[in-house]
Amino acid sequence: MATALPTTALSNRMRGKGQGGPRPRRHPLRAAGRTAPLVPAMILLAVFLVGPVLASFYGSFTNSALTGAAAQQTQFVGFANYAQLFRTPDFFKSVLLTVIFLLGSAVIGQNVLGLVLSLLMARGDRVMRSIVGTFVVTAWVLPEIVAAFAAYAFFHADGTLNEILGAAGIHGPNGLYSLPMVAVILANIWRGTAFSMLVYSAALADVPDDVQESAEMDGAGGAQRLFFITLPLIRRSISTNLMLTTLQTLSVFTLIFVMTGGGPGTDSSTLPILAYQQAFKFSQLGLGTAIATILLVVGAVFSVIYLRALKPEVD
Amino acid sequence: MKRLALALATGAAAALVLAGCSAPGSVSSSSGTIKVAYQKFGNFTQMDTQMKAVAKQFEAQNKGVKVQLVPIQAAENDYYTKLALMNKAAATAPDVLYEDTFLIKADADAGYLAPLDSYVSKWSDWKQFPDNARQAGQGDDGKIYGVSLGTDTRGLWYNKTLLQKAGIAVPWQPKTWDDVLDAARKIKAAEPGVIPLNVYSGKPQGEASTMQGFEMLLYGTADQLTDSDGKWVAGSKGFTDALQFVQTVYQDKLGPTPQQALDVNVGTEISGQWIPQGKLAIDLDGSWQSQNWISSGAAPWKDWSTTMGWTAMPTQNGQAPGKVSMSGGWTLALGSKSKNKEAAWNFIKLALNKKNSLNFDILDTQIPVRTDVANDPKYTSSNPTNAFFSSLVPVTHFRPATSDYPKVSNAIQVAMESVMTGQQSPAQAAKAYDDALKQAVGPDNIVKK
Amino acid sequence: MAMTSPSRRHLRWTSNSILALIAVCFALPLLWLLVASFDDHANLTLKLPGHFSLANYQAVLTPSLAYVPLWNSMMISLGCAIITVAVAVLAAYPLSRYRMRLNRPFLYGVLFGTCLPITAMMVPVYSLFVGLNLIDSEPGVVLFMAAASLPMAIWMMKNFMDSVPIVLEEAAWSDGASMMSTLWHVVVPLMRPGIAVVFVFVFVQAWGNFFVPFILLLSPEKFPAAVSIFAFFGQYGSVMYGQLAAFSLVYSVPVLALYVFTSRVLGGGSALAGAVKG
Repeated sequence: MATALPTTALSNRMRGKGQGGPRPRRHPLRAAGRTAPLVPAMILLAVFLVGPVLASFYGSFTNSALTGAAAQQTQFVGFANYAQLFRTPDFFKSVLLTVIFLLGSAVIGQNVLGLVLSLLMARGDRVMRSIVGTFVVTAWVLPEIVAAFAAYAFFHADGTLNEILGAAGIHGPNGLYSLPMVAVILANIWRGTAFSMLVYSAALADVPDDVQESAEMDGAGGAQRLFFITLPLIRRSISTNLMLTTLQTLSVFTLIFVMTGGGPGTDSSTLPILAYQQAFKFSQLGLGTAIATILLVVGAVFSVIYLRALKPEVD
Repeated sequence: MKRLALALATGAAAALVLAGCSAPGSVSSSSGTIKVAYQKFGNFTQMDTQMKAVAKQFEAQNKGVKVQLVPIQAAENDYYTKLALMNKAAATAPDVLYEDTFLIKADADAGYLAPLDSYVSKWSDWKQFPDNARQAGQGDDGKIYGVSLGTDTRGLWYNKTLLQKAGIAVPWQPKTWDDVLDAARKIKAAEPGVIPLNVYSGKPQGEASTMQGFEMLLYGTADQLTDSDGKWVAGSKGFTDALQFVQTVYQDKLGPTPQQALDVNVGTEISGQWIPQGKLAIDLDGSWQSQNWISSGAAPWKDWSTTMGWTAMPTQNGQAPGKVSMSGGWTLALGSKSKNKEAAWNFIKLALNKKNSLNFDILDTQIPVRTDVANDPKYTSSNPTNAFFSSLVPVTHFRPATSDYPKVSNAIQVAMESVMTGQQSPAQAAKAYDDALKQAVGPDNIVKK
Repeated sequence: MAMTSPSRRHLRWTSNSILALIAVCFALPLLWLLVASFDDHANLTLKLPGHFSLANYQAVLTPSLAYVPLWNSMMISLGCAIITVAVAVLAAYPLSRYRMRLNRPFLYGVLFGTCLPITAMMVPVYSLFVGLNLIDSEPGVVLFMAAASLPMAIWMMKNFMDSVPIVLEEAAWSDGASMMSTLWHVVVPLMRPGIAVVFVFVFVQAWGNFFVPFILLLSPEKFPAAVSIFAFFGQYGSVMYGQLAAFSLVYSVPVLALYVFTSRVLGGGSALAGAVKG
């Protein structure tokens, strides 16, 4: 039952495969002891999450609803929800918008900006560091609905952005109407970068100074040092962070809903907005859950790409 | 280890299914307690105040029965969601619920509500409730599932100063749609900086577009959304005419720009800024507007009652009855899983007697449904608009409250939006609506005109 | 640094100016919040208030609107963050140090599962809580939120732990220290920045979580501030922006304080560098 594979640290390092365990002895008691720390996590997850997750996955194959006759007699409908989704013209547009939102705001926006911020902060003044940190983190800790209103107030026709542009003599567009995706992507970068910044700052703190310094003595330029030494060293953090920001961004709802309501038309209606419409406005919970499942598939595709491209498991 | 995890997972799933099926009811209301669930949201605390007062009266009259109040702090959709979840589990299902007339049919179908016919038939106050108020609480099976607390109506709010500046006599009383558009044109010519007329339109405004906007027009034509058998109507002239009106307002620049109108927060801008600042002359809106402007409202405005006027939305060509209104409203309903239905009904009866209804309708600027409350001088004098908006009750209409309605409403908003932005002609948009309607309700439930 | 070369000084100057620019970009959308909170007629446009007013703060800072909900938020978020971090550190250790067949499928499976929006899971979760008799129980909410944030926390924690060199542990093992004592005395002190990040992350998520407490609690006096924020939204879509802004600022202060505290006390990062170099 226990399948821990003990390997010595030494052999491990020689093969270049992660970290090894303490002693290379096979002993059932010891193996059980090793997995013992996992038990509290397993219990919490088993009691509170595994069941509901499986149940909601099953729910996507039913006509489950919060109200109406279907709420009383929920029936198994097979792939009917999925079939209905694929027939909806707005669905594929929603998938595409979700991917754009994901790439723009999470993969590129939050990750790159977060990394840049943490690199700059490592080099900047202490005072500057805390000022930037405070503003970036404030955007992150604001309640989502308030962050959404703040972003709305910033981008709308008479908003802060256009007042500033106006002062510079530029007549700004109504961003929410003419460039809805750009507006919500920028808003999500604003709101979410703090997380990447924190992760990268912690990761960079782990990069030993002497590695950087020795590279400097070899005369590696700044960009080279970054791409060939620093980034490979924090590769695990990059892949983890990409994955976590992706999964968080996938379910962003309130921000978009408050700023554009998914419009104009369906021009910023990502999958969570579509799911909301189906599950709550039209009270088709099963269909809404099917959309959530598709959302996870999108997330899984991205995660596989990260894992393949960055190979965090190989050290 | 893998097998262990699997075993754990299966175990948990099994436990869950069991739990879902046979929730043991230790949270359940003992026979001595009734649970009352209602909405308490933002500055909507009137229901909370009211329920607290009624609970006190009830406990004084019914020794041994306790009232447990469950205020649910959330906006509409979240409120419905929480209520549905509570209703699903016997252990948490409320005995008395504050229920939207709009959801009565669906919730009755879902088995959440208990029929009230045998109770109301023995209730002397029931005769005070006119027919359309009774129908608002009816399920698909014709039984009564909710008793109305109050309702709302819709009409035209106008800024007297702005109308007078454009040479329109006040009090203003348009007789036809053309009268409304003419007034808007005069205002546009006389006061270029002012938005002449607001008619909610498009998806971002959601139900406000459908109800305050489109249906206020459609129900003033010869057609409606459904026919007398409850079938959905496709291809009606009234539908195209209503879209034509929307097109005129937006394409002839008599309304806000489409960009402004499609902003998700335009509703708050209208009540908080455009109207008080004199930027909007005429607004097709709900009877509750003045709630924003009273001293406890979201945008207090001292002079609202002298600056603003209010009048009925006319029918298309002034045909009888000459004016039109749409209504929603809320009821008190009895939970089907209640273990103490008698006490729960007594609570409802008490909450809806004349004194308590009057109190609530005044508190919440509701339009009363009880005839005796509507005629009570205390009510009519509590807000200058009360007499007018309750006078619309005889001409008002209720939405087809089926579980398909939200999808139809969405199709209407799409049609409005494509017309107001000029993407489609009213005829094209009406055709697209007919197709969407077929998808939403199924071809068997449609009659073609 | 005592001696800085001209290029270093130039680098520092450039870094600072870019940082300043980014700070301004991040601060601008917050400006509306600040201005609106002092304006008793606030709306969604940025405008200086007619007169400076503390009315919003006065209206908001009451026991039922602010203090009780904030206290509840604090209890729920602290409980959730402490449980999550403790359980995640324990779980991450074997996952990081031993190669087990279970690791990856287990982690991926649960990680993805938890990213199902709670709205998709609410019906089964609600019936689970009814079954366990945990509806309207704050500890129940804490445990559920801890379970929900656990996969991400384990994932992050394992990642941080992977970068702690094993050399130091080997020294402890050869001295005969047990696994637990090695974890506590050697590994945990070395990954303080990582633990701080996870703690802040879990805390912030719990602090902002509206839907879980909303669904699982019934009594108004138990609700956290994330739910009471909706007190500023009106019945027909009207919003009291001034009070909302004031409340939001009040609501954000504890989390900001936590961030500042952890970044000062735990986030130095020099501990690790010192240990490795030592």
